[in-house]
Amino acid sequence: MVRDTVTALTRRLRHRLTEPLPAPPATLRRGPFRAGAFPSRLRSARLTSQLGVALGVAFAVCFLTGLLSHLIQHPPGWFWWPSRPVWLYRVTQGVHVATGLACVPLLGVKLWSVYPRLFAWPPLRSIAHAAERAGVALLVAAALFQVLSGVLNIAHWYAPMPFFFTTGHYWVAWLVTGALLVHLGVQLPAIREALRRRGPGRPVPDGERLTRRGLLGGAAAAVGLITVTTVGQTVRPLSGLGLLAPRRPDVGPQGLPVNKTAAGAGIALDAAAYRLILAGPAGETALGLAALNAMPQRTVHLPIACVEGWSAGATWTGVRLRDLVTLAGADPERSTVLVESLEQRGRYRTSTVPAEHVRDPLTLIALRLGGDVLHPDHGYPARLIAPNRPGVLQTKWVGRLTVLPAR
Amino acid sequence: MRTRVALVSAGALVIAYAMVGVSHEIGAVVFLAVALVVHDALWMPLVLVAGALLARTGSWTRMVALVLASVGVVALPLVLGPGGPADNPSVLPLRYGRDFVLILLGVVLISGVRAVVRKKFARSRDRGGG
Repeated sequence: MVRDTVTALTRRLRHRLTEPLPAPPATLRRGPFRAGAFPSRLRSARLTSQLGVALGVAFAVCFLTGLLSHLIQHPPGWFWWPSRPVWLYRVTQGVHVATGLACVPLLGVKLWSVYPRLFAWPPLRSIAHAAERAGVALLVAAALFQVLSGVLNIAHWYAPMPFFFTTGHYWVAWLVTGALLVHLGVQLPAIREALRRRGPGRPVPDGERLTRRGLLGGAAAAVGLITVTTVGQTVRPLSGLGLLAPRRPDVGPQGLPVNKTAAGAGIALDAAAYRLILAGPAGETALGLAALNAMPQRTVHLPIACVEGWSAGATWTGVRLRDLVTLAGADPERSTVLVESLEQRGRYRTSTVPAEHVRDPLTLIALRLGGDVLHPDHGYPARLIAPNRPGVLQTKWVGRLTVLPAR
Repeated sequence: MRTRVALVSAGALVIAYAMVGVSHEIGAVVFLAVALVVHDALWMPLVLVAGALLARTGSWTRMVALVLASVGVVALPLVLGPGGPADNPSVLPLRYGRDFVLILLGVVLISGVRAVVRKKFARSRDRGGG
């Protein structure tokens, strides 16, 4: 009985949603709304589907690597991130930015291939059709948002973005993912059909007309050129080709790029008066530079890997964080450390080193870079350097370490 | 059908979650709308006009145009943007305007060489055939 009622309700709802809406008067069908307004024979369901698959994979890669970076920076209770391999974050974030840049031509051609659908007639066939179109508008807007804001961000051009990049890019990532899932659900039969059919049944082109394969080749060439001219910001052997790389892994003070300078962070330091405050179960200790230099020094080779996709390896020398934790009277196997900078303010003034990284003997409070005392812009007198961790969490100008029990 | 229902339902849930976050960032909503309108009402008509103008010049020109437009989207913010902060020369350290022009010239040069080679081949083939 109840089941019958539900079935009847579903049927009525479906009828209501798919019932044809009154079409607008035909005299309004002008300009791009006319039949045959878009004459290119290059557009096809197959082209659109092939580009869609490539874009879908690219967006999935960007979403997962981006979400990973977000979780590392804002770890919820269940999240666990290892300290090894040391290069993992540099790879995932390098891939995030490279894949996002590869989306520029893919998204451009994909939107070109479906542009005539913007002028479908009648514009709204039914309520279901209207909902689908709203979903597509959301998908297009969100996809453009992600690609454009990403490109602007690596170019350090924030003025055209009336929002905080990290927050906007994060939430719209969810938006584009949701809209993509809906789109995939709606178009699944059309995609399957388009990809199943072998080749075009059309006459062989005469060589001068651009073919589907030619267009895909052009898009692939664009992806290749963009990748080759930018990926050198993280792949050092290719840095010479990086004509459009926003960073060079070897350009900066002491041959290493910098995100925030000492002047930018408002650091004016009297080295003689500097003390690193170490707080833990044994109470508070104030360590001057001489005391830090007197502790056992370790040298490690670790990359700085920025969320913006660049990365560079460097040789760091300093005190193991685990040794400082022991000095503070805690067990280095079971501790986390809150690292505070001398910066007065700033989003990344503090960071928490999870137990995994505290334990790792590669994690240092570094005093030297490449054998020389740290440049002020690299965090003189002392900075955190840990394996497999975003650059924004490698706190510079460390003023205080608070050792806490691991969660 | 079941897969499709699952995809659409999951997608709708994710959109709802995203909407909650996006609604706190009004600037992001503005950027979404502006990106959509500028792309559909300005950029795409320009692309179509350019495509129509290039239609007679052969397939290779259109492919070159596609490559250059794509590289331009990546390069122009580097060229036109404000660049890095004055006290940090490691941000945007290169001369991107010059580099972009070099890439443009390189692509045009390659297509020029290709055109010459093709013409030569076509001529020698004609001769061989005649």
